[in-house]
Amino acid sequence: MRSLISFFVFLFAAAVSALSTTGNRLLVILDDVVEKANYSKFLADLESRGFQLSFETPKSESLALFHLGERSYDHIIFFPTKTKGLGPKLTPNLLVDFLNAKGNLLVTLSSGVPTPNSLVSLLAELDIQLPAERTGLVVDHFNYDASSAADLHDVLLLPPPGPIRPDVKDFFAAGAPKDSLLAFPRGVGAVLGPGELLTPILRAPRTAYSYNPKEQAETVDELFAAGEQLALVSAFQARNSARLTLVGSAEMLQDKWFDAEVSQPSSGAGKKAAAAGKTFNREFAKRLSGWTFNEIGVLRVNWIEHHLDEPGAANQSNPAIYRIKKDVKYTISLSEHAWTAWTPFTLPSASDALQLEFSMLSPFHRLPLQPDPALSTDDAAAYSAAFRLPDQHGIFNFRVSYKRPLLSNVEEKNTVSVRHMAHDEWPRSYVISGAWPWIAGIGVTVAGWLAFCALWMFSAPVPAPGGAAGAARAETKKTQ
Amino acid sequence: MSADLLQVLASAGKGKGTRSLLRVIILALIAGAAVSSRLFSVIRFESIIHEFDPWFNFRATKYLVANGFYKFWDWFDDRTWHPLGRVTGGTLYPGLMVTSGVIYHALRALTIPVDIRNICVLLAPGFSGLTAIAAYLLTNEMTPSSSAGLLAALFVGIAPGYISRSVAGSYDNEAIAIFLLVFTFYLWIKALKQGSMLWGALCALFYGYMVASWGGYAFITCLLPLHAFVLICMGRYSTRLYVAYTTWYALGTLASMQIPFVGFLPVKTSEHMPALGIFGFLQLLAFLDYVRSAIPSRQFQTFLWLFAGATFGLGLLGLVIATSAGFIAPWSGRFYSLWDTGYAKIHIPIIASVSEHQPTAWPAFFFDLNMLIWLFPVGVYLCFQELADEHVFIVVYALFGSYFAGVMVRLMLTLTPVVCVAAAIAVSTLLDAYLNAKSPNPEEVQALESSEGKRAVKSGLRSTSKPVVGVYGLWGKGMVVGAMVVYLLVFVLHCTWVTSNAYSSPSVVLASRLPDGSQHIIDDYREAYQWLRQNTREDAKIMSWWDYGYQIGGMADRPTLVDNNTWNNTHIATVGKAMSSREEVSYPIMRQHEVDYVLVVFGGLLGYSGDDINKFLWMVRIAEGIWPDEVSERAFFTPRGEYRVDAEATETMKNSLMYKMSYYNYNNLFPPGQAVDRMRGARLPEVGPTLNTLEEAFTSENWIIRIYKVKDLDNLGRDHASAAAFDRGHKKKKATKKRGPRLLRVE
Amino acid sequence: MRLLATVLSLVALLGAGPGGALAASAAAAGTKKSAEERFQLYHGKALSSAPIKLGDATYRELTAVPRDYAVAVLLTAMDSRYGCQLCREFQPEWGLLARSWTHGDKKGESRIVYATLDFTDGRDIFMSLGLQTAPVLYFFPPTVGPHAPASPEPIRYDFTGGAQAAEQVHSWIARHLPDRPHPPIRRPINWMRWIVTFVALSGGLTVSYVAWPYVLPVIQNRTVWAAVTLISILLFTSGHMFNHIRNVPYVAPDGRGGISYFAGGFQNQYGLETQIVAAMYGILALAGITLAIKVPRISDPKTQAVALFAWASVLFIVYSFLLSVFRRKNGGYPFSLPPFM
Repeated sequence: MRSLISFFVFLFAAAVSALSTTGNRLLVILDDVVEKANYSKFLADLESRGFQLSFETPKSESLALFHLGERSYDHIIFFPTKTKGLGPKLTPNLLVDFLNAKGNLLVTLSSGVPTPNSLVSLLAELDIQLPAERTGLVVDHFNYDASSAADLHDVLLLPPPGPIRPDVKDFFAAGAPKDSLLAFPRGVGAVLGPGELLTPILRAPRTAYSYNPKEQAETVDELFAAGEQLALVSAFQARNSARLTLVGSAEMLQDKWFDAEVSQPSSGAGKKAAAAGKTFNREFAKRLSGWTFNEIGVLRVNWIEHHLDEPGAANQSNPAIYRIKKDVKYTISLSEHAWTAWTPFTLPSASDALQLEFSMLSPFHRLPLQPDPALSTDDAAAYSAAFRLPDQHGIFNFRVSYKRPLLSNVEEKNTVSVRHMAHDEWPRSYVISGAWPWIAGIGVTVAGWLAFCALWMFSAPVPAPGGAAGAARAETKKTQ
Repeated sequence: MSADLLQVLASAGKGKGTRSLLRVIILALIAGAAVSSRLFSVIRFESIIHEFDPWFNFRATKYLVANGFYKFWDWFDDRTWHPLGRVTGGTLYPGLMVTSGVIYHALRALTIPVDIRNICVLLAPGFSGLTAIAAYLLTNEMTPSSSAGLLAALFVGIAPGYISRSVAGSYDNEAIAIFLLVFTFYLWIKALKQGSMLWGALCALFYGYMVASWGGYAFITCLLPLHAFVLICMGRYSTRLYVAYTTWYALGTLASMQIPFVGFLPVKTSEHMPALGIFGFLQLLAFLDYVRSAIPSRQFQTFLWLFAGATFGLGLLGLVIATSAGFIAPWSGRFYSLWDTGYAKIHIPIIASVSEHQPTAWPAFFFDLNMLIWLFPVGVYLCFQELADEHVFIVVYALFGSYFAGVMVRLMLTLTPVVCVAAAIAVSTLLDAYLNAKSPNPEEVQALESSEGKRAVKSGLRSTSKPVVGVYGLWGKGMVVGAMVVYLLVFVLHCTWVTSNAYSSPSVVLASRLPDGSQHIIDDYREAYQWLRQNTREDAKIMSWWDYGYQIGGMADRPTLVDNNTWNNTHIATVGKAMSSREEVSYPIMRQHEVDYVLVVFGGLLGYSGDDINKFLWMVRIAEGIWPDEVSERAFFTPRGEYRVDAEATETMKNSLMYKMSYYNYNNLFPPGQAVDRMRGARLPEVGPTLNTLEEAFTSENWIIRIYKVKDLDNLGRDHASAAAFDRGHKKKKATKKRGPRLLRVE
Repeated sequence: MRLLATVLSLVALLGAGPGGALAASAAAAGTKKSAEERFQLYHGKALSSAPIKLGDATYRELTAVPRDYAVAVLLTAMDSRYGCQLCREFQPEWGLLARSWTHGDKKGESRIVYATLDFTDGRDIFMSLGLQTAPVLYFFPPTVGPHAPASPEPIRYDFTGGAQAAEQVHSWIARHLPDRPHPPIRRPINWMRWIVTFVALSGGLTVSYVAWPYVLPVIQNRTVWAAVTLISILLFTSGHMFNHIRNVPYVAPDGRGGISYFAGGFQNQYGLETQIVAAMYGILALAGITLAIKVPRISDPKTQAVALFAWASVLFIVYSFLLSVFRRKNGGYPFSLPPFM
């Protein structure tokens, strides 16, 4: 059976080229394989984007995330399953290993179905808190779907989520038609910890809250969470850029909500129901899965190059050692994957910056990298910075650490040694004007010594009255 | 030598010729003995570099041979002191490496293919042969009897005090420095006796070589001026002294300033000031001498001498003031700690921590120079007999040498030569007195007495006022000579025994005896270093205590954070802090320094005393010197002031990284609750320590070396403790989240 | 009615007697001066006489929370009854530190008060703090204000290693008072010492001048110099410097009530031991000298024979004894000479 599956997998692999940068083997975990009919459109979209889907139930024998230590799937989708535990094939540790092996997860919840323990503890490890089972239903008495949940108010209607910060790229709402709405039926809200690896994609409106439908009390005491603290759809990106997306409501991915007619409640008296329209769910689901499965928001470092920036210096590329106080140029080439192709990476906003650190123990330089059109191509953008090495020898790192929400991490470190001045790289003594007195002193000493010797050798005593010959004799006598 | 030999053979039969031939042969034999008695380690183990510093010298030599001299001079070593690097070319004494490099290339030129390692291993024994010859020459300057020279050569050749630093494989600066020391002294004496510029220049030349080879050159720099000063005080100023000293000082200082590491120290630091001061003082004296010869007036001369004394005092005062004002650097720590012996322990623990800087107990003296230790005073006393300039030198050298040797164990090395010379003088005097066959007959002596009785020898030692008579009875001679022979035999046996038992083990390889008496080699060090070399990345940074830095660099060829060249106290203190703090504190330090592996030495299983737990307090002290608020030595002692590793150990001790790394998984070797540290004889607690930020990578056969890998940051952004807990299968507690006010996400 | 009130007040007073501390603390709590007032008050006191001498009540008031100033209190026991050597050694240094700091910072910008609490005045405090030893130096950081650290717990100074110099304590306190002025320590010039040295120097000079004719022959005597040299050499080579540096005990008792003259082990030694060794070296050297110089100069054959025999045998015996001693120090040393095998 497994061999057959793998055979087909290979067939598909041969046929369709993966458009995800990780791979296209997608595992779908369902309670019952027939359930996939509910998600047919969503799955069809995935398949049309080149993923090979294989469906498994948690209990099935053939299910194995790893084969000989290698990932046997690239991505996993969890649809709600009634079973409490997911069995020995999907323990939290296995799932953590899957994340550590750069596999991606798309986890969907439903308020009607208890969340499996292993998922709960996995999310707990990621610092995502869920309400106790089957007690968290998100309702909102202001933004609900009047047509389907007129009295329960448990189908939320929200605008497509924009970026969480102005300087973050807008993946999910970009190009959405005006006043298009997302339907979030019968979902569970999660509470995210303060970690920087977590990003809330879709937040509940300020008037929403999560309550326990089973208890009939008029007043809800000890609220699980309310308002914007409720994350309906949240994203987690590990340090190795493996991604996990938590969708609070599996229903929003079902066919019936992909093109359902929804209408906002009539706000205020007198005015009649607001403009009804089709939901934005289908497009949102596509983008969400695309982000999760590394089709968008993936950065790639094509190459890194640094070299001496001195006139007349041999421009050897990426040398292992430099000298202090030399000019150096550093260039890095980045691409971003957009659905089908690699495109040049551009900074999401002007306020953002791609920075280069030149550091030993602590940064000696922290410079913004400027776009370098000369080296850019149509699928890669080059950024470069030129600077002067500090007057400090040691082992330094060129370091680029660019980590932004929803973008995969760029962490590059190139080590170079910076040596001291060699003994013959200093200016010569006669170039330094301050040294001239000393040089002159040496000259004078030498000259004086020679003069003294000459004086000593040729200073004859007073010649005897013998005349020149006598003098000569005296000379010889003296020198002997 | 060969020429000498031929000439001797040609004039065979003539007493003089045969003597010199014998002398040459004996010297050659002595040199041979000196070399061969240092080969124990090579024969017993293998041709391997010893201990710690030699490994750096060996590495540097290989670099020199591979890259040539100029590359060596400008060598920036980026594989030590990560990430600072070390300007190695400018911070070492190149003499040793250059010497062996020259020998290597010379042999190559002679088409003798020889491995540089063998040259390095055998350099020290070779030079010890030269030292013996130098000692022979030096002694011959002291006494007319040539037997003294031969004896001195023999003593120097086999005295353990010198062998301890010059066995085959201990490839250290001292290996050639001692030869240079003795030979420089010989040249100095020669120059002084003859007052010749030539010998003075030669002396300066070898002094320069010495400066290039060993930091101990300061000993010469201080001893020669002292000798000159003593001579002046004895009223022995002479033009010979003037010529010899000024030549030596001028040329020698210039030569020494050519070494990058020394540079301008000779004119800037206090330990060089005496030489400079005496130099100036000699100029003054020379001038006064000239004036005196010109103006022979009594009062004027006294005035002149007073003037000289006053100038000297003023100069001294000026020196003190200049030092206190900071124009002249005060004494460097190592040097100053020789005088103020309490200084290092308080201010520079890094120096006090080195084992070879400890004071010397008397057994060490006897161990290193068996009977010479009591023949030494005899020789010195004999030098007082006719107190010529060179004897004054021996006396001064003896005094200061013995003082330094008493303060620092390693300076036993500088004492040994003078001990050998003095002892040789003593023994030769004895033998000369008791070995001549002809006895005096009493009548002549009486006559001689009566004739000489009148005039007494002036200003000599009282004991030598009477004339030498000679020894009468043959049996007396026989007794003394026999005893001397016995002593000498014991001496030779002692030296051989000490050399083979104490000084011939390359502390890289440990030898132990099995119950059945057979020798068992413990080779953990090389095992571990080999593991590093083969299983880690080329540029994996290894953190260990500085003792092992040179060995890791030399044998494992991996970058280290600190090593035995302890030039940066702060960096060493950083490592000490990482070792002595909790994991949560150490991990950021290790991340910042890009440490990949941590290496510790653990003797608990084998009872090996030189391990890191025993050195641990020094790490703590050095770290405390820099971070007194974060590391406190007191916290490692129990309230009762004990340093323990067992269940009673303090929390700080148990949580320190060093403790955890040493005892991690150690319990598993023993049945539960039976874990015992054999070194400290302590029973370890029931549950061993847990490590979160490190994982065990390698442990050598006898657990002497343990290597740990530093974990990367957790992929899911958890702290290491909880990540490790999760891997051990603990679920995260919900309760922990509820505690305190829930912190909300802003953004 | 009034009577009752007076009685009550009396009771209160009596209560204040025994439980003084309690009452004082109550007072501190009740009639609470503000931290600012307290600081000004005690800083004023300190200006007149630093460090302030505290009692129970004042101690509690000074260290009461909240305080926006730091307090450094030395709890000591100066009274000779307690025989606290360390206290007496450290007291002058402490006074010097307090004085020079307080006067260096008259306006109290560093906001620290130096105080001393003696055991005789503050028995209860010692009890409440459970102090067994003295001196103890506590540093109370401010609990409120800009400089308040995270934990208001007082920090205890570590007196291990004997009485500290004022400079060390100064640096310790300065470390706990960041970004505030740290007045340096000003040691008063010790005139007495200067005068003494001067007088001694001049006296020495005069004496030497007067005694020169008598001293000169001694200085020029070669035998004297020889003796001095030999003695110092013997001292050094018998490990005297080791004793000096490690200040080892002179002798140590062995287990069985006697005294052991020779320390076990190769690496340590006793004072007496080194003297014995030095004596042995001396005897050996003397014998050697005599044999080498004196004996051949003896003209009478008989005396010479006797002397020769005597010294040679002395040499032999002492050397064999030396070897045996060394064997004791260094187990497994194989060589020996009769008679001490």
